Amino acid sequence: MASKGGLGRWGKRLLRHVLAWLAIAFALFPAAFVLGTSFNPVNSLSTTRILPQQPSLANYWRLFSDYAFPVWLLNTVKIAGISAVFSVFFCALGAYAFSRFRFRGRRTGLLTLLLVQMFPQALAMVAIYLILLKIGRYLPWAGLGTHPGLILVYLGGSIGFNTWFMKGYFDTIPRSLEESAMVDGATHFQAFWRIILPLARPILAVVFVIQFISFYSEYLIASFVLKGERSYTLSLGLYYMINEHYRDRWGVFAAGAVIGAGLILVIFYALQSQIVSGLTGGAVKE
Amino acid sequence: MRYLRPGPLGSTLLKVLFLGLLDAGAVYFSVLLAWEGSWAALVLVVAGAAGVTYLALSQRAYPLRYLAPGLFFLVLMVVIPVAYNVYISFTNYSTGHILTKDQVIKVLTDKEYQPSPPIRYHFYGFGTEEALYGVLILIDSEPLFLRPDGELEPLTEHEVVDVDGDGVADKVDGYPRLGTRELLAHYQVLQGLRVPWKGGWLRLASLTQFGYFLPRYRYDPERDAIVDQRTGKVYFAGPDRFVAEDGEGLDPGWPRWVGLANYLRFIRDPLYHGAFGRVFLWNVEWAVLTVVLSFALGLALAVLLNDRKLKLRKLYRSLLIVPYALPAFISVLIWKGFFNTEVGLFNQLLGSHFGIRVPWLTDVFWARFSLILTNVWLTYPYMMLVSLGALQSIPGELYEAAAIDGASPWRRFTRITFPLLMISIAPLLIGSFAFTFNNFTIIWLMTQGNPVVKIGGRAGGTDILLSYAYKLAFQGARGNEYAMAAALGVIIFLIVALISGISFLRTRALEEVSRGL
Repeated sequence: MASKGGLGRWGKRLLRHVLAWLAIAFALFPAAFVLGTSFNPVNSLSTTRILPQQPSLANYWRLFSDYAFPVWLLNTVKIAGISAVFSVFFCALGAYAFSRFRFRGRRTGLLTLLLVQMFPQALAMVAIYLILLKIGRYLPWAGLGTHPGLILVYLGGSIGFNTWFMKGYFDTIPRSLEESAMVDGATHFQAFWRIILPLARPILAVVFVIQFISFYSEYLIASFVLKGERSYTLSLGLYYMINEHYRDRWGVFAAGAVIGAGLILVIFYALQSQIVSGLTGGAVKE
Repeated sequence: MRYLRPGPLGSTLLKVLFLGLLDAGAVYFSVLLAWEGSWAALVLVVAGAAGVTYLALSQRAYPLRYLAPGLFFLVLMVVIPVAYNVYISFTNYSTGHILTKDQVIKVLTDKEYQPSPPIRYHFYGFGTEEALYGVLILIDSEPLFLRPDGELEPLTEHEVVDVDGDGVADKVDGYPRLGTRELLAHYQVLQGLRVPWKGGWLRLASLTQFGYFLPRYRYDPERDAIVDQRTGKVYFAGPDRFVAEDGEGLDPGWPRWVGLANYLRFIRDPLYHGAFGRVFLWNVEWAVLTVVLSFALGLALAVLLNDRKLKLRKLYRSLLIVPYALPAFISVLIWKGFFNTEVGLFNQLLGSHFGIRVPWLTDVFWARFSLILTNVWLTYPYMMLVSLGALQSIPGELYEAAAIDGASPWRRFTRITFPLLMISIAPLLIGSFAFTFNNFTIIWLMTQGNPVVKIGGRAGGTDILLSYAYKLAFQGARGNEYAMAAALGVIIFLIVALISGISFLRTRALEEVSRGL
């Protein structure tokens, strides 16, 4: 190759850049198109222009005045946020026990966690539906059709993997720190709270963000738990808003998509390297 | 190992106080629940309180204190649902077989019929606009006075005043007769009244009349049978509903154990058999094509970017993973817009430049094509990222040696890069296969499993097993076929377990895991 001289190498470089930009065009055109559409006051799909002729914020105004979009967004952030916070905290507690204590059933417990997290929770949707129905009979605020009910399901479904994932990280934190703290009279819980958690902050953040994103995008379970437009999450709301209305709501939908995706995009790129290593390390994003 | 040492007095006192309050509360609620007969809730409360007390006091259970919160939700929302799901799959739990037998008897004996000819009585309401005092039901033989709490008394027990002497009571116990409009305000109260009377009951039959109705069915505990009071027909308790001797059954019924019947229906019952095979095949195709194509694209891009001298590679990498960073449901809805047959971007472009229109989502082949294209777009960044990571871990000396031997770039790729890559990536591909196999969101948002392939059939041309199960459970034209959906869930469980098992065997991850515990 090298013998072909400067021009050949230069040509190959150029080819690489051209191919890369072609791939980038493929990766970006849907987002670019929708971003353009969101500023296009013509509320129909039947335009092939990316840049609108008379850009305006009309679609965004309509999104907030004519649709329950702000409610969906708030619901989603609330549900995903609460589920992710509790998930991280409970999993950190469990991971600490698995990492630091030696007790009977520990091995079995860990293997069970590993097995449990392989099965998508959605496969048991019928049972989840019926269990929520029953819970609702005793605790109406946590049954079918309620946000706490959905949070219960999300929380339960995220425990297995996250506990496992965090345990691996806790194992890498040297024990000497806690041991010296405990010689000074700290309890186990104080050692966990004051030493392990602050040290594990990066992994807690990653797990929180990955969980938040995956709850944020969840559709299946939310679709049979939540009833009524005002209790919808973003995925349900946007779906029902646009599904039969590509002709007449495309612009408004584009505005909703920009806001809904923008939020996640910002989080993703702010923590890009940590998230990518977490996700490619086996966590699943939907 | 001792986990606990005596803490400061304050915290011990606090703990005792907390446990005292908790257990006192539990006892209080237990009494209430026992009084109501809510035994399931009672057991939960007692077990919960006992569990918390044990956790707080026992030395040996100390580690469990850390595990308990997570474990609780894991058991409640994963372990119990999975077990319950398996149980349901062996029953005939579905619309018409949901209530317990006792509830069915209650529902049936609550049904009524109208004697022929209908018996109706006019009534007057008394009270104020705010509160209904009662209604006077004009029964010729014995006028009755009905209070809103359901109490029925002979009118003679009340003080009736007929001011103008027209034979119609104007005041009862000092409360004036209500006009039609005022009475309407109490309509909901009136509608909720159904009072036993002469072996049947009285209830509101129209705006101005109460009717006399008779119970349609009577339960006979000795024969364990339901008797139709109107015709005298007897329905005996069968395995899952009451059935008459001529075979006529009463709805609703109750669930029963059916063994493997639901699973066998996927093999034998023509209603499910064809659909299951078709859906399963496409489900495998969908997962295989997505993984293979997105891996091919992702790997190609990774090789492209894996040149340290390439300028802007960091930027390229960041831009190429945009599809991965966007929430999938939004991307799918956007692609669905592009695929729209009439107004979508693709057909607009194809139409104006080449004069063709592709039935993207309305034809089975094109719908599958669109789905796979979309999913490849969604998945290739992941493949690119893992490939990049794996490529960077391949030692450079190998290439130098190959270059000395004069191996062509293609040969170097097929003989060195690819085999080494597969060692670390194969398990991820299998994981991705398992994930795609059950990727409901993309299928559902894009096509809902449509287009229809068979009139009246439940499974459409792009349904995967999970979306088929979803349809059976929640979108039923034949009601909610919970048991069939649960059985399908178990079948998918088994498939996923098989895939994961193969993956584990291949990578021996389980062995490593066991060693690392």
